[in-house]
Amino acid sequence: MLTAFVAVTLTFFALRLGGGDPTDSLMAQNLVTPEQLAAVRATLGLDQPLIVQYASFLAGLLRFDLGVSLFNSRPVVTVIAEQLGPTLRLASAGLLIAIVLGLALGILSAWSRNRLAADGARWVSSLATGLPVALTGILVILLFSATPLGRLPGPGLGWTRGLLLPALVLGFASAGAIARAVNTELSRSRAEPYMSAAAARGVRHGPRLLWHALRPALPLVISLCALQAAYLFAGTVVTETVFSRPGIGRLLVSSILQGDYPVAQGLVVLAALIYTLSQVMADLLALLVDPRLRGSS
Amino acid sequence: MRRALALLIPLLLASCAAPAASGDSLRYGLTLSPSGLDPHINASSELTIPLGSVYDTLVFQDSESGEFVPGLAESWEVSADGRQYTFHLRQGVRFHDGTAFDAEAVRLNLERVRDPANLSQKAASMLGPLESVDVVDTSTVVLRLSRPFAPLLDSLSQVYLGIASPTALARWGTGEYQFHQVGTGPYRFVEYIPNDHVTLEANPDYAWGPSVYQQARPHFDRVTFRFFEDPATRALALESGEVDVIGEVPPHDAERLASSGEFLLQAVPIPGQPLQLLFNASRAPTDDPSVRQALLLSLDRPQIVATVFGSQSAVAEGLLSASTAGASRVVPADQYDPAQAAALLEAAGWRLGADGRRARQSQPLSITLVVPPWGSNPEAAQLVSAAWEELGVEVDLQVAPGFGPLKQAQSTGEYNLIGVNLFGSDPDLLRPFFASEGLYNWTGWSDPELDALLVAGAESVAPRPERMALYTQVADRVAAQALVLPIRDYTNLVVRRTGLTDLRFSPQGWNPYLIDLQPAP
Repeated sequence: MLTAFVAVTLTFFALRLGGGDPTDSLMAQNLVTPEQLAAVRATLGLDQPLIVQYASFLAGLLRFDLGVSLFNSRPVVTVIAEQLGPTLRLASAGLLIAIVLGLALGILSAWSRNRLAADGARWVSSLATGLPVALTGILVILLFSATPLGRLPGPGLGWTRGLLLPALVLGFASAGAIARAVNTELSRSRAEPYMSAAAARGVRHGPRLLWHALRPALPLVISLCALQAAYLFAGTVVTETVFSRPGIGRLLVSSILQGDYPVAQGLVVLAALIYTLSQVMADLLALLVDPRLRGSS
Repeated sequence: MRRALALLIPLLLASCAAPAASGDSLRYGLTLSPSGLDPHINASSELTIPLGSVYDTLVFQDSESGEFVPGLAESWEVSADGRQYTFHLRQGVRFHDGTAFDAEAVRLNLERVRDPANLSQKAASMLGPLESVDVVDTSTVVLRLSRPFAPLLDSLSQVYLGIASPTALARWGTGEYQFHQVGTGPYRFVEYIPNDHVTLEANPDYAWGPSVYQQARPHFDRVTFRFFEDPATRALALESGEVDVIGEVPPHDAERLASSGEFLLQAVPIPGQPLQLLFNASRAPTDDPSVRQALLLSLDRPQIVATVFGSQSAVAEGLLSASTAGASRVVPADQYDPAQAAALLEAAGWRLGADGRRARQSQPLSITLVVPPWGSNPEAAQLVSAAWEELGVEVDLQVAPGFGPLKQAQSTGEYNLIGVNLFGSDPDLLRPFFASEGLYNWTGWSDPELDALLVAGAESVAPRPERMALYTQVADRVAAQALVLPIRDYTNLVVRRTGLTDLRFSPQGWNPYLIDLQPAP
């Protein structure tokens, strides 16, 4: 909760002190006299001292009232709500891909006895962490528009272009970090005495042994996934632009550039909320998979 | 076998090619996602692309002759003092919701635009010194102005002052109307999902099209607009068959597509100010006219334009781009003369040092250049800076991330050159830039005779050619002081599938006459 409060407060002041006056871009194409501009500022409540604006913003927040967009006088909650669905779909599909791909790559690189496969997996995960989403996005579009791949039968262009490809691009970027963590943890637990103990009990190579090695690593992997969920949200900013998808990522960029403070603030409140929620979820999940944590708390 | 292959290959190729649009629907790519889509309230040029076909305006402007022709107004008279416009309205026109169009509808629309509570971002100032709108009878409306305002018909011909259904305006609030727009135009507004799409449907009852339209009825039943904000994805959208037409394609992509034979490139000139830099004449060292002149002469503008914009854009040579009424050539494209530039600086005391930098009395010759991030401003400014560095000038190039920060830089006055330009089809748009008290007087120049010329142009009641001649004088006076560095006449590179013909645009260059679009025979 404190994190959310600090984030919201910082954004409030950063936007106002660094972003310039929103009436400048609002009235960029309108020949308004300084008096008219002052009237506009008064209408929008921008003539009040900063601290008064902050107090009324907080008061509104307590009533779940995020104010009204400066640029089209619609409630911020409505503006955000209509863009939230597409982003949630994209981010959750991306997270799913990140987890599946990350686990697969991590296990392959740490576990496979085939040198080539292990090295390949390591390479791909480095690539995933290194390549910016803006580049992989364009590459994927190119691949799917310029080659017969784009003509693959399936639920149709809308579905692949609309969700699968952007989710793949988004998930790929996060998969790298997850793969590396899984790789490190697995390599470490391999050398632990309990692995020898398991082997002595007759657990041979294969899925059961893998589970033995993987289980102690799960809490860490889960909290990493939660962190990635927050990153994914940030990643949607670029992905949405590249794939021309609606969503709150693009809304954030445009609201900051134009100086639509109420919308930008609303989005930060939402991001803080999502961040906090994903941390709580991760803690709960970790509790579920790791009995040791239950004992200590 | 060979014959079989010969048959197979074209088949394979055909299956890979972009799927053709279904006979009756069209997909149009937009580039920016506007913060709002209400033409009376919002300002973006992008919104006129779909909405130009949703609304009719009182008058229309013919792209070729520049003359105004009847629209929702069948005829009009302007009083001798230029302060009273009487419009005789067309009868039998109905809005898409069935409401009848009349004088009261015109009054309500203009009052909506003027209402300060609605925070109109553009339309309100297009009405200039409008004082009152009076309904004489159901088909006659009078606009009274406090001063003559020559650009009024130009304003009234634009979508920002399109006439909306009073029923719909009364039903929906200021913020909500943009999702339920109702006009009288050839297309009906179906749906707007922000950041995603806008959908229009042909209006089967349309029977009052202006003479600027070639067709009486739209061919395409349905037009869907989608937003492609990332410039790099626009060419891909065409190639993958996601859109049939898209504007603002990056120059090198546009040329590649055009040479493929599957697409046609149409370079649409956008009237208004070119991509330009304004000199700050109130800050050293650009307060010295010979420094400004030297900076101008040292630039090979054709080379810069060719590098950044390819072969489809014209080099700007005036205060207004060549396609604007009242434009004149005052800064020739071929005036590049680095030797003369160096000589001017030497004469002004800026000597070249051993380090390749110029200085006067151990004061280095350094300038600050502030440009906005859009319209290839940073790329052009980069080449400009390089040329000036070559001349021995120290250049601090700053990219302001938006109009707000640009305005901020302007208000502190900490720049020697600033990149700013407005689009528009009437030359009066120069007034705020070059009048002493102008709101955009970012050059800091003040000249009473220039002020008088600009006011004369704005308030002229003379025939069009006489009025436009005033702007030739304006350009001469500004160019004599070397206050403007014009770079590129803005050109919208529109690329479409070869299967489409008759893509025509309104004089402002952005909004297409969707009614005229036809599939190729």
